[in-house]
Amino acid sequence: MLALSSAHPTQTPVTRFTAETCCLSINQFHLAYAGKTALRDLTLDVPRHRVTAFIGPSGCGKSTLLRAINRLHDLNESVTHQGQIQLEGQDIHAPQMNVTELRRRVGMVFQTPNPFPMSIYENVAFGLRLQGRMPKRKRDDIIEWALTSAALWDEVKDRLHRSAWQLSGGQQQRLVIARTLAVQPDVLLLDEPASALDPISTLKIEELIRNLKSQLTLVLVTHNMQQAARVSDYTAFLQQGELVEYGPTDQVFTNPRLQRTENYITGRMT
Amino acid sequence: MTPPRLPLSRQPLRLIHDRIATGLITAGGIGVLLAILAIGVFLVWETLPLLTFGDALSLNTLSPLAWGTLKAALAAMLFATPIALGAAMYSALFMSARLRGRIKPMLELMEAIPGVVVGFIAGLLLAPWVEQHLASTLLVLVWLPLSAGLAGMLWYVASAKVRQWLPLSWAGVWLMPWLAIMITLALWLAPLLEHAWFGGDLRRMLDQQYGLDYATRNALIVGIAMGFAVIPSIYSLAEDALADVPANLMEGAQALGASRWQALWKVALPTAGPGVFSAVMIGAGRAVGETMIVVMASGNTALFSASPFEGLRSLSASIAIELPEASPGGMTYHLLIFAALALFLFTFLVNTLAEVVRQRLRQRYQRLGGNR
Amino acid sequence: MRWLPRPPRLTAMGSLLWPWLCAASVALSLLMLATLLTLLAARGLGHFWPATLEEVTLRSGETLIGQAVREAPLPNAAGTERLYFTGNRDIDGNSWRWVALDDIATVAVPNDLIRLERAPWGDFIGRLETVESDGQRFEGDAAWAFVAQAMALPESQRPVAQLWLTAADGHRVTQPLAGVMRFQAPNAMSWHQKVSAWSGRIWQFLSEGPRAANTGGGVWPAIFGTVMMVILMSVIVTPFGVLAAIYLNEIAHQNRLTRLVRIGVRNLAGVPSIVYGVFGLGVFVYGIGGSIDSWFFEDALPSPTFGTGGLLWASLTLALLTLPVVIVATEEGLARIPDAQREGAVALGATRLEMLTRVVLPMATPAMLTGVILAVARAAGEVAPLMLVGVAKLAPQMPVDDEFPYLHLERKFMHLGYHLFDTAFHGEDVQAAIPLVFATALLLVLIVLVLNLTAIFLRHYLRRQRGNEC
Repeated sequence: MLALSSAHPTQTPVTRFTAETCCLSINQFHLAYAGKTALRDLTLDVPRHRVTAFIGPSGCGKSTLLRAINRLHDLNESVTHQGQIQLEGQDIHAPQMNVTELRRRVGMVFQTPNPFPMSIYENVAFGLRLQGRMPKRKRDDIIEWALTSAALWDEVKDRLHRSAWQLSGGQQQRLVIARTLAVQPDVLLLDEPASALDPISTLKIEELIRNLKSQLTLVLVTHNMQQAARVSDYTAFLQQGELVEYGPTDQVFTNPRLQRTENYITGRMT
Repeated sequence: MTPPRLPLSRQPLRLIHDRIATGLITAGGIGVLLAILAIGVFLVWETLPLLTFGDALSLNTLSPLAWGTLKAALAAMLFATPIALGAAMYSALFMSARLRGRIKPMLELMEAIPGVVVGFIAGLLLAPWVEQHLASTLLVLVWLPLSAGLAGMLWYVASAKVRQWLPLSWAGVWLMPWLAIMITLALWLAPLLEHAWFGGDLRRMLDQQYGLDYATRNALIVGIAMGFAVIPSIYSLAEDALADVPANLMEGAQALGASRWQALWKVALPTAGPGVFSAVMIGAGRAVGETMIVVMASGNTALFSASPFEGLRSLSASIAIELPEASPGGMTYHLLIFAALALFLFTFLVNTLAEVVRQRLRQRYQRLGGNR
Repeated sequence: MRWLPRPPRLTAMGSLLWPWLCAASVALSLLMLATLLTLLAARGLGHFWPATLEEVTLRSGETLIGQAVREAPLPNAAGTERLYFTGNRDIDGNSWRWVALDDIATVAVPNDLIRLERAPWGDFIGRLETVESDGQRFEGDAAWAFVAQAMALPESQRPVAQLWLTAADGHRVTQPLAGVMRFQAPNAMSWHQKVSAWSGRIWQFLSEGPRAANTGGGVWPAIFGTVMMVILMSVIVTPFGVLAAIYLNEIAHQNRLTRLVRIGVRNLAGVPSIVYGVFGLGVFVYGIGGSIDSWFFEDALPSPTFGTGGLLWASLTLALLTLPVVIVATEEGLARIPDAQREGAVALGATRLEMLTRVVLPMATPAMLTGVILAVARAAGEVAPLMLVGVAKLAPQMPVDDEFPYLHLERKFMHLGYHLFDTAFHGEDVQAAIPLVFATALLLVLIVLVLNLTAIFLRHYLRRQRGNEC
């Protein structure tokens, strides 16, 4: 797969980051579902401790790309892929890479909140228990810390042992974030985390994202461009499985380099 | 806020556990499925000796049994199919939805009644009673559908108030007392009719005029008893097929002026046809395989007769009675296992066919854009 | 009544009337079901109710005492005759007596008639004259009081006594108190006493073994045997069924092969149970059992230990029979768990085993339970395969006792369903046994219905839960 200029004259040069600032590095990544290409020759870098947004129309591959980063596609037998994804310099598909450890380091929050049918405490403790035994006090501390970081502690501290399914949608989503935070990932992938929530919960989630930036690298997939503009530092625009434009959010939204990008952002159909 | 430190994880152990577990589950799963396969393998294996030193003569001992099985199954299907299909049609398309939610589980619970119990009542209560009251039984069998029609006719000419109190959608329930009364009426009338038409004793007339013997336990009893046992199987599957016919098809037909019954007959039945057919097939499979009812209600006489008043002996009953006594490796032993193989193949094929038909039906419903 | 303007055409009329036939089908099915259950309940439970004893004086001057059972038309003449249960098989040679109604002069219901159940000879019906115990002699009311008091004590504490009884024809009989199982004066009992006697007899039915060739006593060994077998069967079928379902649903690649396997498993649920019995007999009993005998129990041969039907083979056979039920139910439960839950666990770094054990299986537990309950319901009612692999008419020993190794897997056992069949068809005095057969049938149907209703309940609870979540 050759360089991009000849095949796609409208694509901008790739934005790359140095090893110090780069967290995730995606190199010429292809992915196909049972032969049908979903991601085409993707190359981009995700900077550390920043929020990077993937935007684009439905079916453009943003969620697919997200799920490739934590190798969730391994669960699906009909998926084939080529190219490389690196986390902090390590190839995630290398045989020495432990998939479960990868998934601890790269956490994921899904579009519809999916807490387990257990108590709030047990939801957050789930990932911790996988890691091994630890004294209860320490586990309690970590759980409190995680729920606080997810801005949920005050609301649930008195009912940690009630079922998680009794929480509202926004609270459930924050709970999912908390349980992901509890295992202390380096990266947090968020797949349209607020699309199923009401506006107030959405704002809370956005604020949370901003606050978490200092500890983690966040990658956000969203179809809500205003959200991307509000929350992210870098934005990648994908269309039909290809990376169209990638740059600092301000620049992509106020001064996009490609016509295609501008069309999408301003809402024109082509 | 800085996060508390995580402990060292026990990574290698987790992966090893995962591998071992996956291996065990795979082994267990495949093992179980193989064990299920082993049934067929065993039956075929033990039947092979028949090929070498079996002969037509010994196979002939099985033919009255095969005939008996078919006769019993036929009798049961004759009794069960109209009732089960009628019940399914009514339940899916005419009965009030609330009632359906209560009645359907009740009818499906019929399936749970053990064959022993049905066989016991058939063999020890029904058979002697029918023997004493043959004319009554036949009269009731004929009178029941007629009385249902009578109920319908009376309903149509009844006042609007009666029709409101006793609607068709609840008829499944309030026809129960009506039928009970009609049955009592028929039982009361029967001796008079018997006297008038058959000179007082139907059985004697049958014997003298037609040479028909009457055995206490016979195909008629088996038909009624096994039919009762098979009704829920047919009903359950046929009802599911009919109820899942996309509502827009039925509404479309009725919007064009068809009555409910016409919509059922011309639209629902053809659409759900495969499902109904597969329900009947599965019922037939059950009827062929049922053992206890036949053992208890058929008299276990291996006869080649076509008369419903004569006993019969089925393959399954023979296996149950004779196999414990047969010495392993002997001719009887292999013959009986051959009979079991025949039953196994028949039911397996019938059920597979029915399942394939039902899957096609499900796909058809999806294409028609159906859910209720 | 309003009249139709003109008679409608035949097809139109058919279109109007056919729905009624369909409605009648439902009504008829429900009627048959209701009749069956009522019949079982009435005849089954009614048997335990203390029946009134009548003293019948015939025109010929003869007297008989007994319980009126039913009436039937005279076989060879006009008129009706009534069947009386008179007991006293040792005196009369027969416990039953048909009496033509025309022959009856008077029928009395005196209060002093008693009904006694005795160890070897079944019921005695007549009067109590005297009781002799410990040198003392009691008559009339005192005799009654003594016996009533003695019977109220547990069996081991009853005094030694001798009863002098008179039958209807004046015949005198002596009966030691030790052989008396039950003593009743039904005509003198108040309604309360009758209810308490009734429940007492039902309890006896459930807790005692059969007596007098299944015309008396209870079905406890059959209940115990059925329960033992069902427990053993569940222990075998649950892990294997769940394992197979997990393999099919979670681990195996979903392709044509898995679809075929699923169809095959469902079909196996429809294979006649007798076929499983044949397999059990051939492979388990003769095959594996025979081998075990020749390896470990050679000294006992030619008398088979494991090479004949027994608890273990019966449980294994029924486990195989109900395997498809458990697999299908578990698979349905697994399929209903949304993939989002699985992904959530995996995204947190869980291995597949951890995802299954910590998230999926706990959510599928109600479905698994439903499967096991349905399996148990089926096993409780299946008789045909058991006739081949292990059930006994009258088990000489219980499969569990205090003799090492406590659980005897090779012993034959009694089963409720088989007991029903055997008593109804191979008993000596079938007439007398029939009421108990009804009671056994009622018990069996109740057990099966309760189990099925529990499974249905679980399913509804499951559906509501899933609905709430989505």
